[in-house]
Amino acid sequence: MPMLEVQELEAGYGPIQALNAVSLEVREGELIAIIGANGAGKTSLLMAISGIISARRGQVLFCGRSITGLKPHAIVRLGIGHSPEGRRIFPRLTVRENLELGGFTQRDAWQLKRDIAEVCELFPVLGTRMNQLGGTLSGGEQQMLAVARALVGRPTLLLLDEPSLGLAPLVVAKLFSVIAGLTARGIAVVLVEQNARAALKLAARGYVLEAGRITLSGSGQELASDNRVREAYLGEG
Amino acid sequence: MSVQFFLQQCLIGLTNGALIALVALGYTMVYGIIGLINFAHGDLIMLGACLALSLVAALGLAAAGPATTWLGIGLLIVLCGLFCGTLNVAVDRFVYKPLRNAPKLAPLVSAIGVSFIFMNVGLFWIGSADRSFPELLPSINLLPGNSLQFNWKDLLVVLVVAPLMVGLSLLVRVTRLGKAMRAVSQDPTAAALVGIDVDQVIAATFFIGGFLGGAASVIYGLYINTIGFQMGFQNGLYAFTAAVLGGIGSIPGAVFGGLVIGLVRALASAYVGERWTGAIVFAILIVILVFRPEGLLGRRTSEKV
Repeated sequence: MPMLEVQELEAGYGPIQALNAVSLEVREGELIAIIGANGAGKTSLLMAISGIISARRGQVLFCGRSITGLKPHAIVRLGIGHSPEGRRIFPRLTVRENLELGGFTQRDAWQLKRDIAEVCELFPVLGTRMNQLGGTLSGGEQQMLAVARALVGRPTLLLLDEPSLGLAPLVVAKLFSVIAGLTARGIAVVLVEQNARAALKLAARGYVLEAGRITLSGSGQELASDNRVREAYLGEG
Repeated sequence: MSVQFFLQQCLIGLTNGALIALVALGYTMVYGIIGLINFAHGDLIMLGACLALSLVAALGLAAAGPATTWLGIGLLIVLCGLFCGTLNVAVDRFVYKPLRNAPKLAPLVSAIGVSFIFMNVGLFWIGSADRSFPELLPSINLLPGNSLQFNWKDLLVVLVVAPLMVGLSLLVRVTRLGKAMRAVSQDPTAAALVGIDVDQVIAATFFIGGFLGGAASVIYGLYINTIGFQMGFQNGLYAFTAAVLGGIGSIPGAVFGGLVIGLVRALASAYVGERWTGAIVFAILIVILVFRPEGLLGRRTSEKV
């Protein structure tokens, strides 16, 4: 049984239909990539899985159970973490408070401390910035904080929206090496990326989203060598 | 115009200001969390004062001994606090919440509507004439000598407002709920994505703001000694002004703004004349906002995004 199953999902904003009969699945501990152009519906797809925008049709199953129509906080509590597009850290809270909020569902204070310490091992720079306000971090540090915040909640499935956007290549490499290591910790990942090359290299499987529809899917290698993908998303051909 | 007279006016101003601050908190908290100027807040407090008046009569507090009186006042504060808190949550649930994703003007106009509904309920409850609120505390000067007057009811304001404010700032700074409130006020979507029940946090904020307003309504009755169905409008306006002056959305700002407005009102009324107080208060507000649009303690809006 797949861990996450999206079935014929349709969602949108007012008259705009952002997702059209989207179906995909994620198996336990698997990293999948979703690539597509700006406005293809990648962010909407993650937002619909998290319950921020509601499904008009179709459903989302998590561990065999329908989570369609649940409120976002309830979905997070089931183990789906989400690091949203644009980082959206809390700018006027300290790094520590941001991380503590990431573990909002953890009521055991000692366990929360351990979880935060564990994430700081993944992103050592955050450990040196604990008392700084989130809004004063550099772009790369803010992105690390956004991913770290989602990880503190100990998700079994992590949705990552454009983690590389606007970051220096060196920072991207660092971030991607952490993301690649997540599956070894048993965390399944849905990685939404404009940086298709890097994403497909990491991903076991990938989906191509175009104008709200899945138009192509396959293993990371298959997609990376597909002519249409190479032309449209990898800038080759 | 002696120094004593000046100090006396300051004392009056600060006591009044503490009361204004308590009301201003209700405006600033709701604004901070959902960006709504809750124009019904003043009238919510008027309804609290109506309940306080009814309870004083029902409990026979006017004829009670000192110990019973203090106990009764405590009970009034708790009951009116619960009443206003619950009513505030109910209004949010049925009026503002359905409009959460509507343009900002829709809930604002609805708040004005709720304000009128409350005023009519108050009119029905206590009638159109001003009602005198019984003097429950003896007017004995607590300060030595005759130069400065500070009575039991002045002390009551301090005794109620100070702990409520300390409690509120602790709640916001250290508790789980407070942290969730700060998160929701900065980014509700991100807050939901870390597992915070945003609706619950908003409801809690309305409750706390309403509770403080309920406490303020009791003190208002005991301190000013006159209540009427239209009291919500003017008092609400001063408190809202205090919140804006301090920096709307900022809790210390609301307290500071309340104290400043109280002081300015008292001094203007003593040295210039009662009828000029409104004009002076708002002239100062306008001048300050021209030079510091974010309010005295508000934050500037520039931020790395």
